[in-house]
Amino acid sequence: MSRLTEIPIRIEGMPLGIEPPAPAATFGLGGGVAAILMELVTLLERLAQSQTPSAIDLRSLPMSPQDRIELERALGEGEVQATVHAEGVSTIRETRISGVWWVEHRNRHGELITELLEVTRVPEILARAPDEIALGANALREQLTAAAANLREARSNDPN
Amino acid sequence: MIQTNDDLTVGEMLFRAGISRRGFIQYCTAVASAMALPPWMGTAMAEQLRTSPRPSVVYLSFQECTGCLESLTRSFAPTIEDLIFNTISLDYNDTLMAASGEAAESARAKAMKDNFGKYVLVVDGSVPTGAGGAYCAAGGRSAEDTLREAAKGAAAIVCVGTCAAFGGIPLANPNPTSAWPVSAIVGDKPIINVSGCPPMPEVITGTLLQFFTTGQVPDLDEHRRPKVFFGNTIHDRCYRRPFYDQGKFAKTFDDEGARNGWCLYELGCKGPTTYNACATIKWNGGTSFPIESGHGCIGCSEPGFWDKGSFYSALSTPAWSKAGEVAPRQVLELAAGAAAVGVVLGAASAGVSRLRQRGSERPSDNEPKGS
Repeated sequence: MSRLTEIPIRIEGMPLGIEPPAPAATFGLGGGVAAILMELVTLLERLAQSQTPSAIDLRSLPMSPQDRIELERALGEGEVQATVHAEGVSTIRETRISGVWWVEHRNRHGELITELLEVTRVPEILARAPDEIALGANALREQLTAAAANLREARSNDPN
Repeated sequence: MIQTNDDLTVGEMLFRAGISRRGFIQYCTAVASAMALPPWMGTAMAEQLRTSPRPSVVYLSFQECTGCLESLTRSFAPTIEDLIFNTISLDYNDTLMAASGEAAESARAKAMKDNFGKYVLVVDGSVPTGAGGAYCAAGGRSAEDTLREAAKGAAAIVCVGTCAAFGGIPLANPNPTSAWPVSAIVGDKPIINVSGCPPMPEVITGTLLQFFTTGQVPDLDEHRRPKVFFGNTIHDRCYRRPFYDQGKFAKTFDDEGARNGWCLYELGCKGPTTYNACATIKWNGGTSFPIESGHGCIGCSEPGFWDKGSFYSALSTPAWSKAGEVAPRQVLELAAGAAAVGVVLGAASAGVSRLRQRGSERPSDNEPKGS
């Protein structure tokens, strides 16, 4: 390899055609929001290339109410909205950006305890783990056994 | 309380207690967020713990007031941390366990034998060594003996509260029982100090959960406290900090400054020299913390906090006496550094207010103690 132009270059984390570091004003966004979006680009590229999920903890970032509105507007609404009722209620909203999910966990008192932007195919809290699936199979098997037993009992008690 | 299903995983035990995997993920994600861990650690922590065998905790209470245990178990019930700690892990705690006498002591011996080298030893309270250990004895054995024996098989020792970590109030001048912190007695085991009087429940359970998950002692500061919780001073993270920077101080507890929520530095707040997570995690399920309720920090998570003069003298007031592991000179230097910004702005008024404060204090508050 003798010439500089022959060295392959890949630019990560930056929209093509924008010279890094782009001033926040370029996007018409507050600096904090632009930084979050740039990080999301990097995380999405990592997910696409190596299937490595990641997340941004929104509660650890100083954000003004205006920043929040801008961030929500920039990410938009996707096709999926889910609610999980476990220890508290979690809401999982897909954003318009494929792979970016807005996840909120609340405790039993309804207080927000975690707010994340998860970069993943499906948030882990929605998927079921293999051991849970095995428990599900067991539960269904027991249900069928009990139903069969009930049916036998009903038949034996029926004089006709 | 005492479980015998040692072959079950944490996940199975949680499931039997009605906590689903999703509920556990919600909980662990919140713990990871509170600990400022990378956000994906929450899910990883949940999966790791769910498939782990039941961790074993032996909890010894020595010279203490049970405030630490109250903080841990009565904070806001019933929570998953209460379940993991009390129902799943705890093999011995003389306050919480239903068993007593011989049955209790044999439960402790069994747990220590079965989990030798693997259990986490939690110690609450200082260890009095005076009068042959007679000041604190259970089952005819002194606290020091019990500690030495229990430490032998421990994977790590978590000192819960300032008494176990630094000697706390029992060690305060004149230390009538010759009390010592755990670190002065056990030298050959990893020790994690979770100080505070009491410590924050989230800090206690977060530290235990992290150890259960990773099996590693977390990064510690020079007082062996986990840096994730004790990395910043209260002052660094205080919501009243902007007033300090502007030189706006409350001069009394009922003046206009106090009503406006200005900085409590001149009223003796020890926030600038105190490392703890109160200002970020807050108490009572995130409701508030002392400064938010209008009272300065008393520095309870620091060594020797009881012997550092009045809680109501400003840090720059040279009323420091014997101060445990913290040399007075070091404290004064810290205070002087922290004061520099604020004092430039409010030097004259600060001097006047301190004179006024001294006038209203009990004489004993200004007396050097045992120096």
